[in-house]
Amino acid sequence: MTKLSINGLVKRFGDVAAVDSIDLEINDHELISLLGPSGCGKTTTLRCIAGFETPTAGNILFDTTDVVRLDPEKRNIGMVFQNYALFPHMTVHENLAFGLEMRGVTKTEMDGSIGKVLDTVQLTGLNDRYPNQLSGGQQQRVALARALVIEPSILLLDEPLANLDAKLREEMRFFIRHLQKRVGITTVYVTHDQAEAMVISDRIVVMFDGRIHQIGGPRDIYSRPVSREVADFIGLSNFIAAHVASGDGNGGYVLDSPLGQLRCAYAESLDDGQAATIMVRPEAIRLEPANPAASSSNSVPGKVLERFFLGNIQGYKISCENDTVLQVQAEPWTDFAVGDPLWCVFDVEKTWIIRD
Amino acid sequence: MTTITPIVDDAREKGTGSWLRDNRTLLLLLPTLGLFLAFLLIPYLNMIVMSFRNPSTSQVFAPGFSAVNYIEAFFDEDLYYLQILWDTMIFGAGTTFLCLIIGYPVAYHLARTKSRYQSLLYAFVLSPLLVGVVVRCYGWIIILANQDGLINMTLRKYGVIETFIPLMYNTFGVGLGLVHIFLPFMILPLLGAIQSIDPALEEAAQSLGASRTKTMTRVVFPLSLPGVQAGTVLVFVLTISSYVIPILLGGLNVMIMSTLVVQQLIDAMLWPFGAALAFILSVTGAAAVYFYLKFTSRFMKGIA
Repeated sequence: MTKLSINGLVKRFGDVAAVDSIDLEINDHELISLLGPSGCGKTTTLRCIAGFETPTAGNILFDTTDVVRLDPEKRNIGMVFQNYALFPHMTVHENLAFGLEMRGVTKTEMDGSIGKVLDTVQLTGLNDRYPNQLSGGQQQRVALARALVIEPSILLLDEPLANLDAKLREEMRFFIRHLQKRVGITTVYVTHDQAEAMVISDRIVVMFDGRIHQIGGPRDIYSRPVSREVADFIGLSNFIAAHVASGDGNGGYVLDSPLGQLRCAYAESLDDGQAATIMVRPEAIRLEPANPAASSSNSVPGKVLERFFLGNIQGYKISCENDTVLQVQAEPWTDFAVGDPLWCVFDVEKTWIIRD
Repeated sequence: MTTITPIVDDAREKGTGSWLRDNRTLLLLLPTLGLFLAFLLIPYLNMIVMSFRNPSTSQVFAPGFSAVNYIEAFFDEDLYYLQILWDTMIFGAGTTFLCLIIGYPVAYHLARTKSRYQSLLYAFVLSPLLVGVVVRCYGWIIILANQDGLINMTLRKYGVIETFIPLMYNTFGVGLGLVHIFLPFMILPLLGAIQSIDPALEEAAQSLGASRTKTMTRVVFPLSLPGVQAGTVLVFVLTISSYVIPILLGGLNVMIMSTLVVQQLIDAMLWPFGAALAFILSVTGAAAVYFYLKFTSRFMKGIA
């Protein structure tokens, strides 16, 4: 189908660069999400792809065609809006027929495609309802159907689940993911919800201040963030300021930190003495009553400062050397009392370095 | 303690309190109702009664009641009065249509503009309402007057014309004045209606392949119909009942129902006949609006 390439995309509003030089390749059949806090430029990027904003610089290619100069109606995109943007004066059938009509499709063909797509989104039998007679979830699926029925080259989704309640939102994540895989359409998905991005995406593009910080699979983004912003935005992290002491001989590094020397896995090269931040996810830390002193892990002594129970998690705050506090998410059946001395143990593999 | 509240609620729901107690909010309508009763309903009923009185040449009316005034109005030999009624309706429809096609683009622009001069534009739209209608009509007279109006004098001075172009005391002058003065009453409801249309709907239409024109005709205009309906009814009603503008810019050359009614009341002193004509105008106008609303509502399915 269609491959999407974005090269050197810049969009300025007055003096503010909403999108500041973005390069991105999205493969055929791929679903990528643009993830970031509000104002990071993800929606502007999407609107540039759709044609609602004219880029200040750069180009956007659908396969080999530069679409920057094309009006939105000539781009053959399917778009799902945050508030669905269903035409309130048209029935479900008329909403779906709109795009086909604009393409001059005959009545019989139209009824065929609409029937098929309504079947795909599991909305058969609602043809004659008006949007205000549908539930939020149904409206959402009509919006998807309306975008898909025109068989677009690219599907664009702008926070499509933001207006649904939590439970439905989780269901719809899987629904959209399965639908996209079945239809096989190249898809760009904008969201500020990290869990949504993780569930739904082949690759995630994490953006801050108009720039891309990292592109990668969900696992990659979570375990090997390239910047402190990325690590902070996605999940919880413990950050420990440190300096590189030396290489560890296995491709990793040993760092001097307030918790003593820690060994970290890291693929890229660092200089001795360079400042860096060590990142450990709270769930990567095991709590042990005694030091296991294994070569594959770091061990740090500490004392339970605070504990809290979240049902699936037993949370602790552990006070360690030099006033460093580590957040730990342990299995719910661990049971250390406040004040208990213990050891925080985390694998070298799960101790990650972020360059400062 | 906890049982007290439900008991009071039950009493309310079942209406066991006095009627007035249950519908206290209706009291808020009293001042308006009083005003309407004293200054609209009673004079109106008085007018209807007057329209059924017998005409007289020496007094305001002769004793007794009959439908003679209505017979005169409807069955006059050359259909003079029906013709004027028809002209009035056409005038109303024409003014309304012109206001709509002139006002719609303005309203759309105002609703969608992100310009920092938006409030200035608002002020421009409203500015005609800040000056009295008589003053504005005299303003037009200075510009349009047939012998020594600004336009005719200028054209004559530069030799474009020798005598004058008739710009007022005709349908053109009256139409111009009506459109100018009633335009804000079209723009304001349209503005409200268009502002309430989510701009994302226009983008959705475009993303589905609709050109700007198709987006306007298939999405924006149908969704703005409540505003179109309100604006057109307002301008139509104002036009068919307007008196000052037609009389100042049209004189007696442009005869519509309101000028005719005043002529009967003031000049001819035929109060019963004037009252009958006024009542006919009201009923015809109301009927026109009623059928118009019924007709246009059919296109507003699914809109809030």
